[in-house]
Amino acid sequence: MYSLYSMCMDIKHFQVLSITPLMLLIGLSASHSSYAASNRQVNENQYIKMVVIPRTPQQMAAFYEGREFPKTAIDETRSACFFTTVIHNKSKNIIQHDYSRWQLNTDATTVSLISKQQWKQRWKQLNIPQRFQSTFRWTLLPEQLDFQAAEHEGGNITILRQAAPFDLVAYFTTVEQEKIKTIRMEFKNLRCAEDTPQ
Amino acid sequence: MRKILLLLIITFMSPTLFAEPNLPKGIIKITPRPAPPLNLENMDGEKFVLERHTQHWRFVHFWASWCGPCRKEMPAIEKLIQKMFGLNVKFFIVNTAESEDTIFSFLGGVAPNINTLLDRDGLTTEAWKPRGLPSTYLVDPNGQIQYVVIGGQDWLKPQYLTFLRQLPILKNKNNK
Repeated sequence: MYSLYSMCMDIKHFQVLSITPLMLLIGLSASHSSYAASNRQVNENQYIKMVVIPRTPQQMAAFYEGREFPKTAIDETRSACFFTTVIHNKSKNIIQHDYSRWQLNTDATTVSLISKQQWKQRWKQLNIPQRFQSTFRWTLLPEQLDFQAAEHEGGNITILRQAAPFDLVAYFTTVEQEKIKTIRMEFKNLRCAEDTPQ
Repeated sequence: MRKILLLLIITFMSPTLFAEPNLPKGIIKITPRPAPPLNLENMDGEKFVLERHTQHWRFVHFWASWCGPCRKEMPAIEKLIQKMFGLNVKFFIVNTAESEDTIFSFLGGVAPNINTLLDRDGLTTEAWKPRGLPSTYLVDPNGQIQYVVIGGQDWLKPQYLTFLRQLPILKNKNNK
């Protein structure tokens, strides 16, 4: 049970138990869970279980403040929408993940994910100390990964803050009976989470 | 077509990660690769260097206090270090980019006997390219990473202890 504990995220109760940046979000679980929990989307098939949870600016600020991030960095996070994303390879085969195969679209336009490289450049412009850059990097979902059988990974995906809802279609690939199989996971009507009025 | 071909090559021809029978859960045998440099101080200011050639295997573990599985795993690692004392494995426990105050108060509560190494700017961790935190690598006496461990494990389970104790002492270049 211990290893299961260590490799999974109890999504229902919002306690992150998993590896990767996700565990960061322990700090988010306590005070702000009701909003995000009600807006999370879960998509599951025989290969993958994937969860996307919108985070409010207040949630993210609280988390990074807890990690002693400078105010300039925390203010910068408010320009982005954060979605905690958990991916579980349910199959017995390796599943390949690559951001470049993901599509995010509103009714009118395409939405771009903010890459780790773009965040890095922004932190450099703001002279954010290296240790905070490093921690921030660990809070993001890996951009490419070969998911091992039964592996869970998680982290945040980020887009520029916007009002319009959008759809996310994530494509993964695996090899099944010596054939390449594409796995499609769709999340409709995702929205940036807003802080609740005090 | 080229994309499909590339995917096939990646999938079939270059198994950087592959399953090996009888490995405890979470431990994955990889195609050996040289361990990146590791040259860090512990909380007492003592310097530790991961040498290329030595007598021992090295258990290199990256962690942070904000990481839930790290929190859960650390007491087991503390006991594992005690159980493996004087045997074939040496431990390099590396905190990723946290302040000494944070580390001190965290370890004081969960694993007071661990004197972690401090990767103050996180760049050593970056160089090792872990899949996430916690992450553990098993480095052979010749400085080659032979195994990666995905996520936190219960290291005190017999299968893990047996596995670690049976890691072979390789004939390294200094022993020729």
